[in-house]
Amino acid sequence: MAEGIGLGLMAVGAGLAVGLAGLGTGMAQKDIGAAAVGAITEDPKMMGKALMFMVLPETVVIFGLVIAILALFVLPGQL
Amino acid sequence: MFLPESMSRIVIVGANSYIDETTEVLYDLESIHLIDQTVDADEGFTLGTPRPYSPKAAERLLKVRAMEKDLGINKHTKTQPISESEIRSQITSDGVENVESEVRVVLDKRNDLNQRITELNAKKKSLELLSRLPIDLDMYSGYKSIVSIVGSVEKDPTQALAGLGEVFYSPDKKNGNLVAVFVKNEDKSKAQSILSENGFSEISVPEGTGPVNEALMSVNNQLDTYNKELEVIQKETEVLFERYKHFLRASDEELTMDAEKGTLPIRIATTKYTFVIDAWVPTPKVESVKSTIESKVIGTYVEIEENRGRREAEADNVEDRFKTVPTKMTHGRITKHFEYPTKMMSVPKYQEVDPTTLIAIFLPIFFGLMVGDVGYAIPFIILGAYGLKFAKNPDWRAIATVLFFGGIWAAIFGFFFFGEALGMHFVGEPEGVEYTWQSLLGLENLDKAFSWLADGHGVHKIGAAYVGFLLKLSVYIGLVHLTIGYLLAIYNKSIQYGFKHGFMEKGGAFLTFAGLVIVCYAVATNLVTSSPLPNDLYLGFIGVGAVIMIIGLIINAKEEGVMKVVIELPDTVGNILSYTRLVAIGMSKAGMALAFNYIAIGMIAGGIGGIPGIIVGFVAFTFFQLMIWTLAIMSAGLHALRLQLVEFMIRFYEGDGIEFTPLKIKRNKLLSNKNVKEA
Repeated sequence: MAEGIGLGLMAVGAGLAVGLAGLGTGMAQKDIGAAAVGAITEDPKMMGKALMFMVLPETVVIFGLVIAILALFVLPGQL
Repeated sequence: MFLPESMSRIVIVGANSYIDETTEVLYDLESIHLIDQTVDADEGFTLGTPRPYSPKAAERLLKVRAMEKDLGINKHTKTQPISESEIRSQITSDGVENVESEVRVVLDKRNDLNQRITELNAKKKSLELLSRLPIDLDMYSGYKSIVSIVGSVEKDPTQALAGLGEVFYSPDKKNGNLVAVFVKNEDKSKAQSILSENGFSEISVPEGTGPVNEALMSVNNQLDTYNKELEVIQKETEVLFERYKHFLRASDEELTMDAEKGTLPIRIATTKYTFVIDAWVPTPKVESVKSTIESKVIGTYVEIEENRGRREAEADNVEDRFKTVPTKMTHGRITKHFEYPTKMMSVPKYQEVDPTTLIAIFLPIFFGLMVGDVGYAIPFIILGAYGLKFAKNPDWRAIATVLFFGGIWAAIFGFFFFGEALGMHFVGEPEGVEYTWQSLLGLENLDKAFSWLADGHGVHKIGAAYVGFLLKLSVYIGLVHLTIGYLLAIYNKSIQYGFKHGFMEKGGAFLTFAGLVIVCYAVATNLVTSSPLPNDLYLGFIGVGAVIMIIGLIINAKEEGVMKVVIELPDTVGNILSYTRLVAIGMSKAGMALAFNYIAIGMIAGGIGGIPGIIVGFVAFTFFQLMIWTLAIMSAGLHALRLQLVEFMIRFYEGDGIEFTPLKIKRNKLLSNKNVKEA
């Protein structure tokens, strides 16, 4: 029973990790995206650079994803 | 391969009377990077003036470009090659002027007709409106004491205007309400203000006599005639287009070159009788350049001023305009396509490593690891190979190169590490929401075919230990990548200022990184995995790591200040963990594929909704897979690039160099004598 609750909590934790990290990334990308669209309108050659800046904050959500993967796959083995 | 080509600075001195010959030779050599002369650089020198033929060439070029624009000839127009001598003789015998006089006649006629047609169309439009009112055209004007006001209104003004004069009103919801008002001269402004309250906008009444319908018919007839004439003229322009497209394209190219060569003297220093040219030349070619110029042009002398090394100190005692050396990247046929990401940051400096080769190695590997699926890899390989065979545009070729090599890596990783195709594992029994190829295709013995692979290989359902292994693998790849970056930083500074300086400036960061890695290894092993290190070993790791890290921190603090050190520590950890995206993105994609496959294959296998249901299932399957495939390009491609540009290059890359741009004749294939002979 306790193990079941533990597994459930791990799943909740994994969801929170991805979800909250995704929110953070979204907040950062919102500003960058607006600025990037502006820059591309001025000079379409900025497209490449703008795309690069767009993916910079995705690191945050990837950290969240890694924690989620650890929580779902690796930690249950040690329970 | 790793460092930009070494450069030598030369000075070419010659007689003004031979400047045209010198220009020709310099352009033919294709390895002279001209250094612009600054006005007050040397006493007694002035900047040169354009060659006498230059204004004429510029004028002709202008005419040619104008004709090309009017006839719709552009760089995509297919033309036959014309030899250089032929086009030159045509241009010198006033070919451009003759063609222009012929083309102008037709084009002027076309412009004139177009203008008349536009005017008539405007007239037709107002006549069509006026035809709704029962008033002849000549009734609108020619009065002494009354005026007419005609236009469209939003609301009916008849009531408001009652008593002022005669009002004709024609309501029409689709084309707008029309009103014509006849009032005394003195009431005009009053009527206008009433009308404007009703949303009035005036229409000018065309001149003419008789009923509107008759005028409309005559306008239509005129339009027909003009349109027919225009068709004839269009045919004539098409004939002109076909007749002169070869000549115009070729002379455009030739005259562009003439104009450029003609203005070369304003970039160099001259006296009354001589000229002096400063230039950068790749060191391996400098001797042959010297002998070619001196032997081909009488009275020139070439002095090799210096062979510039990579030390910054070498630039201390030279003029400002000689301080920056142009960067000539030297790459093979394939690595050349990876110059694009490098240039996206900036052109490398002459005194630093050009990271293009390393990007060419790591970018496809990272891309492949993030895709990690045989099913998605095969279309990448096909698309890449197709692009490499047929694409001409360098940007597309660069993308095709990444897709092709990335696809090959994706197939390798997909087969040996993840054991997946289209998001489904090769072997195993379906379990929960997961399907496998073995069960789908009914191949019961497929697992035996993979028995030679190590246990826990990804062809089976991925277990916890295997996920841990993949995450560790991605971190190790990151460590290798980052170590190369840190070492390159030390190397760059070493070739610029000597090893001691280089190590003091960049070595601290590397030692901090190395120490941190050792400490983190010990801590992570004990925290995350179920087999912790023995106590002695654990403390040993922590101790050694901490000592190295502290040495690094001290060097760093001395060089860059304490604040930088405090910021850099967490940054380093973040950079290492950033590489976990190599596996995380692959797994997130696999997760998506898992969900989509469950939906689509469930629809097909469950047979819900009979035959139509199965068809919908197949459509959904294709759509979902295509979506994941497209996302794979976006996410895997961008993140692979990002790891190069952000995590890797920030370690060592300075950039801000200027590209080596030699004087060179930019020919399309259609002109050179050599190509004509081949064709």
